[in-house]
Amino acid sequence: MQAETKDPQYADIHRDVVRSIVETGPRYYVALATALGVTLLCFFFPWFYQLYYGIGAAGVNHPQVWGTYLASFIFWIGLSHSGTLLSCVLHLSNSAWRKAMYRSAEAMTLFSLMVAATFVMVHLGRPWFIHWALPYPNQMEMWPNFRSPLLFDVMAIGTYLTGSSIFIYMGSIPDFAAVRDRTTGWRNTMYTLLSLGWRGTDSEWHRLHWAYTFLAVLIIPLAVSVHSIVSWDFALSIVPALHQTIFAPYFVVGAIFSGTAGIVTVMFVLRKYIAGFDQYITRVHFDNLGKLLLVLSLIWTYINAIELFTGWYSGASTEHEALQYKLFGYYAPLYWEMILFFAVAPLLCIFKRFRTSFVPMLILSIAINIGMYTERFLIVGTSLSRQYLPDAWGVYVPSLVELSIILGSFALFTTLFLVFVKIFPSISMYEVKETMDIPKTEPIAPPEGNPA
Amino acid sequence: MTNFAVGLFHGPDSALTAAGTLKGAGFATPELMSPVPIEGVEEVLGEKKSVIKHFTFFGGLIGGISGFLLAAVTAVLYLHPTGGRPIITIPPFLIITYEATIFFGILFTVLGFIISARLPAFRDRVYVPESAVDKFVVTVACDDDEHFKRAETILRDAGAEQVRELAEED
Repeated sequence: MQAETKDPQYADIHRDVVRSIVETGPRYYVALATALGVTLLCFFFPWFYQLYYGIGAAGVNHPQVWGTYLASFIFWIGLSHSGTLLSCVLHLSNSAWRKAMYRSAEAMTLFSLMVAATFVMVHLGRPWFIHWALPYPNQMEMWPNFRSPLLFDVMAIGTYLTGSSIFIYMGSIPDFAAVRDRTTGWRNTMYTLLSLGWRGTDSEWHRLHWAYTFLAVLIIPLAVSVHSIVSWDFALSIVPALHQTIFAPYFVVGAIFSGTAGIVTVMFVLRKYIAGFDQYITRVHFDNLGKLLLVLSLIWTYINAIELFTGWYSGASTEHEALQYKLFGYYAPLYWEMILFFAVAPLLCIFKRFRTSFVPMLILSIAINIGMYTERFLIVGTSLSRQYLPDAWGVYVPSLVELSIILGSFALFTTLFLVFVKIFPSISMYEVKETMDIPKTEPIAPPEGNPA
Repeated sequence: MTNFAVGLFHGPDSALTAAGTLKGAGFATPELMSPVPIEGVEEVLGEKKSVIKHFTFFGGLIGGISGFLLAAVTAVLYLHPTGGRPIITIPPFLIITYEATIFFGILFTVLGFIISARLPAFRDRVYVPESAVDKFVVTVACDDDEHFKRAETILRDAGAEQVRELAEED
């Protein structure tokens, strides 16, 4: 039995991660049932209600045709950038502290993208015509218009979803092999198939290293392009507050920022609720994530200030009106709440004492994501409600259906993540082992029996 | 049936030393199995060539061409009135090209990995489950018992905790 003060060894992380997959307590089932129940009740049922009664149930109308569905779509796409940053960027910079976290962060990426994709379906005004958007030869002689940013979106998000799935799968192959050896029955069959017969030979490691590195190099510009393209859904319109070139970097920085905050939340939950994971997810990780949050907050504040400044400096009356409405109009309380949560609160991360405390960082990460959602909502809300002509002005308030679907989307994400934790090793065993010392000489024991 | 001498070591250095000694003694190139990638394998066992980069490159090239053609050809075949603006517009189509380049680059990289790592493995090969946990394993093919005894001696001299004899179907 390891003493409490000893550093974990190879066999410890192996045992802890396999146990997290194979052993399931009642708390997990309660969490899964709750998440699934809330998803059905708050996401799917209101959506079906909306499909039956029409998009008006969502509170959208002229001029606010996008509402919270698009805000949620962008929010979830934004959350997906966390995984890419941690996995790919920090992999190429050989950072050691990412190793315990990146698998779960990549999973966040994947599931955020899936939830975002559902919002594309939810926001449709005439969903019975969705087949018009599909690429097949038809007598209307219509084909998707590749000059539209909506099609850039399809290509970008489709590529990102495929790329992220492949990336998380490839990185997990050695861990699937390790779990395969410790399981029996249906789990053994599943992991045997997933691991493709991986043995951990030097040639296999060599190939995996190169494939993984090339994938990381390909996915980084992809992630930057995805959120830039999502921003161009707005920037390529002519609505005053949307038609801005700053949108591409603004969205990408905001995405990485909120994604990193999302990782802090997920890491807190993992280390609290999975036995043994508190040895691998430590204050060092929170410290480094806190530093990242601080830097990203400062960049975001700068970009926001620049947006205000160039809008004012331009002297254009429409720009002035848009800024005036944003800062002092109907949605002003939301704007200042966003500034508080996004620009002011993360400054607490200057203090190392704050960065290395778990609960304060959790609260900050949730506040950042609330601020993030507000920001996405304001981008849609304050711009569409003040377009060029006064007859295209109108205040928008989300309806119950929309609020319920927002809540349901978080539940959907949680459901997917809970399922992930039971199938994928949620901490990368082999990468964390790389950060540990070589194991001490111990007698070779036979593999542990499977408690499932 | 090929027989293998399999040595289990507690650290990568001793495993690498054993592999180098085996190679120097005229055995077939040994294979190392480990829970983590080992540094310094190429110095001992010879440089490894990676073909994956070629796959990635050609994937990107094919993707770029396909992406541009997809956008341009469909714009020409399914014409829309554009008010005098170009039918084949470069900036938007470049974005499609860019995404398709990355998409095919990713797919071909995976293909390259699968082909060069010879996965999925359809036949059972020599494997030691401890190598996925915390042991560093050296395996070497042996023709006969005498060969095996020589290999065993080399492995034990290098510090193997255990030496096993395993067989693999050809």
